Amino acid sequence: MKLAHYTIRNLSLPLLLIMTIWACVFYFLVLHEVNDETNDTLQNYKEMIIKHALSDSAFLKNNENNIMNSYYMHEISKEEANLMKDEFYDATKYIEIEREHEPIRVLRTCFMTSDGKYYELKIEISTLEKEDLLETVLWSIIALYLLLLCCILVVTHYVFHKSFRPLYTILDWLKYYIPGKKIEPLKNETTVDEFSALNKAFEEAAQRGNVLYEQQKQFVENASHELQTPLAVSMNKLELLSENPDCTEEQLREISDIYQTLQGVVRMNKSLLLISRIDNNQYLETQNVSITELGKTLLTEYEEIYEAKHIRTFLIKEEELVRNMNESLAKTLVKNILRNAFIHNMPEGEIYIEITSNTLSIENTSDSPELNQDKLFSRFAKQSNRPDSTGLGLAIVKSIAKIYQIEVDYFYNGKHRFVLTFL
Amino acid sequence: MKILIIEDEDKLREVMIRSLEKEQYLVESVATFQQALLKISDYDYDCIILDIMLPDGSGLTLLSELKKMHKKESVIIVSAKDSLDDKVIGLNLGADDYLTKPFHLAELNARIKSIIRRKQQDGELSLSLGNILIYPDKHLVNVDKEEVVLNRKEFDLLYYFITNPGRLLSKDALAESVWGDYIDQADSFDFIYSQVKNLRKKLKTAGATPEIKAIYGFGYKMILEE
Repeated sequence: MKLAHYTIRNLSLPLLLIMTIWACVFYFLVLHEVNDETNDTLQNYKEMIIKHALSDSAFLKNNENNIMNSYYMHEISKEEANLMKDEFYDATKYIEIEREHEPIRVLRTCFMTSDGKYYELKIEISTLEKEDLLETVLWSIIALYLLLLCCILVVTHYVFHKSFRPLYTILDWLKYYIPGKKIEPLKNETTVDEFSALNKAFEEAAQRGNVLYEQQKQFVENASHELQTPLAVSMNKLELLSENPDCTEEQLREISDIYQTLQGVVRMNKSLLLISRIDNNQYLETQNVSITELGKTLLTEYEEIYEAKHIRTFLIKEEELVRNMNESLAKTLVKNILRNAFIHNMPEGEIYIEITSNTLSIENTSDSPELNQDKLFSRFAKQSNRPDSTGLGLAIVKSIAKIYQIEVDYFYNGKHRFVLTFL
Repeated sequence: MKILIIEDEDKLREVMIRSLEKEQYLVESVATFQQALLKISDYDYDCIILDIMLPDGSGLTLLSELKKMHKKESVIIVSAKDSLDDKVIGLNLGADDYLTKPFHLAELNARIKSIIRRKQQDGELSLSLGNILIYPDKHLVNVDKEEVVLNRKEFDLLYYFITNPGRLLSKDALAESVWGDYIDQADSFDFIYSQVKNLRKKLKTAGATPEIKAIYGFGYKMILEE
């Protein structure tokens, strides 16, 4: 979800609620005000009628002629009059001309004439206008309310994009930042302090990242130097020692064992360096590499090497699979996954290879049972005791797969099947 | 044949000297950039073995100095840096070969021989041991002037044996010479075994005087019976 949409969504819910409450309050205030006004009119009317009635007893009768207002009077007892207060209420009245009930507001009160008689007075005013008014008010509120909501959202959207443009510029810039590659200057003019600070922070972080990257690269290379030289010395000394004509066969046997073990360390050191380099993105140059050709060439070489195991290989399908990769990494990737199928195979075993335009799948027979998926790609997670396995082959595969977005899957159906999917 | 070793690691320098002296080369050695600079400006060598990482300077700088002086020395770079960049830069600067540490002494020996052979333009482009004569560039092998047909891998093995006569060659070194460091050597022991067996059989049938001897567990040795 985009930040703009997220903000607008978060804004619309409270706005909807607040504005609904606001509209209701406004509506009832208007309603109250209208009733007040009507009551005042009734009061004034009452004063006027009573004044006229007191001065002229001819007024002491009903007046029903007027459609808009009318009043009724009748005499009541003193007790009734004492109990009576001014009372306003809404009612309806049947108007014959219009043949329908119309809303009215009524004031019921009483007064005493100079001759000591009590009269009840009921004044009715048509409130048709009030209904019209309220209806208009209601619809106006709804229309204005929706319009206002739209306006707020549109303005928010616009203002959001305008004020957050520097943020998006930074995001675009970050997308192209790869540690170890030259950093493009971040062109992001802004008068906002926070964004200037952010620009500066990101540029500095990128610089620091590059410095760290360089340091790590140096460290890897230095570690290599520091280890390779003593290994070279030990290996070469053993070689010289083995050439000594005084060596007995027994001693040669021992030297050979040490030499083999040392070779194992050398291989392991090389593989570890390879993984660190891959993980540090030190293989930057890429070109179009045909995985199909690579697979076929390597297959021929491994067939030769493992001739003694009499493994039969089947190339079931070979479509063209070309990807933009570092050539030596592509080679290492195919080599490791293919080698795996050979070394973990049994004598007289079989290997099936299938290359489609986006997958490379290798299936091999083996004595070993189903492998543990969780440990499969961890370093040194050897699931067999083969001396020729360093436990790093699949870790290397995983590292390479990670930088080129290649999916590596493992299936087991009596045979072990590895599938590389090139996205 | 004069060889100069430029290597700052004392022990490694020492084993290289010992190994090369066995091959009857005249070996000199220095440990620093400055000493190396003096040596190469004052003397001429047939081959220089150059470590890139020296305490007081880069071997690559030394290489460009050498080319500035218009010296004709062949240079083999020996480096712990297994980085493609350095390899490309080194070879572009005029180095003849590049070896990554750790390496087999036999491999170093083979590379030196190959460079020296290439340098001797006037000399014949062949190597011989006993009655075996090989033409590395044409991939031809003659035993008593009769051609012996070898496959590519058998030929590489024979070439390696002939450049290292009398020397005990480990299976690792042999495997690396055939496959490069491209294939893990541990993979290829069975393969080396069967290839050496085939090679021995072919040489024996052809009546070659040098013989390949198996040394238990370690590897093989080519011996010329006197």
